[in-house]
Amino acid sequence: MQKPIATTRSATGIPTGRLAIWWVLASEVVIFGGLLASYLMFRLGHPEWANAAAVTNTYIGAFNTFVLLSSSFTAVLAHQAAENGDGKLAAKYLMMTIAGALIFLVVKAFEWSYEISHGYTITSNGFWSFYYTAAGLHAAHVIAGAVIMAFIAADAARGRELQRVELIGIYWHFVDVVWIFLFPLLYIAK
Amino acid sequence: MPGHTDPKGERHGAQHPNYKKIYFVLLGLLVVSVLGPEFGIGWVTLITAFGIALVKSSLVLQNFMHLRWEKRIMKWMLATSVVLMFLLFAGVAPDVMKHEGHRWVNDAALAATARGIEAPHHAAGDAATAEHAAGSVEGEAVAAVPAEQTFDAKNAYGTVCTTCHGPAGAGDGPGAAALNPKPANFGDAAFWASRTDDHLVKVIREGGASVGKSALMPAWGGLYNEAQARALVAYIKTFKK
Repeated sequence: MQKPIATTRSATGIPTGRLAIWWVLASEVVIFGGLLASYLMFRLGHPEWANAAAVTNTYIGAFNTFVLLSSSFTAVLAHQAAENGDGKLAAKYLMMTIAGALIFLVVKAFEWSYEISHGYTITSNGFWSFYYTAAGLHAAHVIAGAVIMAFIAADAARGRELQRVELIGIYWHFVDVVWIFLFPLLYIAK
Repeated sequence: MPGHTDPKGERHGAQHPNYKKIYFVLLGLLVVSVLGPEFGIGWVTLITAFGIALVKSSLVLQNFMHLRWEKRIMKWMLATSVVLMFLLFAGVAPDVMKHEGHRWVNDAALAATARGIEAPHHAAGDAATAEHAAGSVEGEAVAAVPAEQTFDAKNAYGTVCTTCHGPAGAGDGPGAAALNPKPANFGDAAFWASRTDDHLVKVIREGGASVGKSALMPAWGGLYNEAQARALVAYIKTFKK
C-alpha cells in the first residue's frame, strides 16, 4: 500500500507519527492537568476532605503504582527491541505490558467494588466525585492503551510497523506519569 | 521499517540508557513515598509524596519517553500545556479555596466544610449506605443520630453562624458588611422580646424567608435536625444582655 506523503516528510525534523503522539499528549496534559488542578484547589479549600481521603488504601495504590512502573519498563524494552529490528521480542514485551494493564484494572475493580459496597460512591461528596472521575478517566486511558497495544503487538510479531512500538510506548509512559501524580493526590495525602 | 530513520537519514533513538537501573530507582522512590507518611510529620509527607512524584515523572519523561533526546520544539509544546494548567489554577483557585471575602460568603462551601468536619470519617460512607438502603433522604437522618449525641452547639455556631452573626452574636461577623438587611443581633433585648424558641428553630432550619424575614439567612435544615437547632437556640440565648 502506498504510504501517505505526510508520513515520510516532516518540517520539524520529528517523524510525523511521533509528532502526532506528542500533540495528543500535550492535549492530555490540559485534560488531566485541569482535572488535577481543580482537585487540588478544592482539596486545599476543604480540610474535611482529609476524612474521606483517609478511607483510601495506600498499599493498594502503591501496588498499582508498582504495576504501572513495571509495565512502563517492559514498554520501553519493547521500544528498544523494535529499534533493534526484533519484532518478535518487541511483541513479547508489549504483551507483558498489556498483562500489567490487566492486573492494574483487576486490582482497581476490586478496590472500587469494596469502596462502593461500603457506601463511598461518586455522589457521596466532593472528594469521592473527584476520586472516581480522575481514576476513572485514567482507567479509560489504560483500557484504550491496552487495546491499541494489542493491535500493534500483533503487527510487530510479524515485523510490521515497528515504529509504532515507540509511539504506543510514549503514550503508555504518559498514562504512567498521570498515575504517579494521582497516587499521592488520592492515596498518600490524608 | 526497523530502526526507522528521520528525513535527514539520522537514526533516531540510538541512545538507550540503562533502563533496568532507572526502573529500580523508580521502585526505590515508590517505597520512600509510601514510607514517608509513617513519620507523621506534615512536611516530610509532602516532600516524599509530591517531591518524589515530580522526580519519578521526570525520570519517566526524560528516559522512557526519551524527551531529553527530543527536538526542543516538543519540550516547548509540552511546557505550554503545563503553563496553561497553572494559569487555570491561579485564575480559579482564589475563588474555590476561599469561602468568604470582603463582600461575599460561600454558604454552601462553609456548610459542606462544617458538615464534613463534624461527621466522623466513616459517617459519609455510612450515611450514603443508609440513604441507598432507604432509597430516600430519610437515610441521612438515621445516620445523623449518633452525631446528635455529641452535638456541640458552641462549636457549630463558631463554624457556621459566626461568619455573619459574629463571634459574640452581635450581628457583626465578617460577612455582615455585605448583607442588607443586617444579620440579627442576639444581644439586643428587643430581638428576644418578639421571638419564641419555635420561631427561631424554624428560622434556623427553614431560613429567614420562611418567616418573612431576610432571605439572606440560609436554611440549615440539611445540616441540623430539630434537636440540634434547639441546642443552637439555647446557645445564642447566652448572648442576650
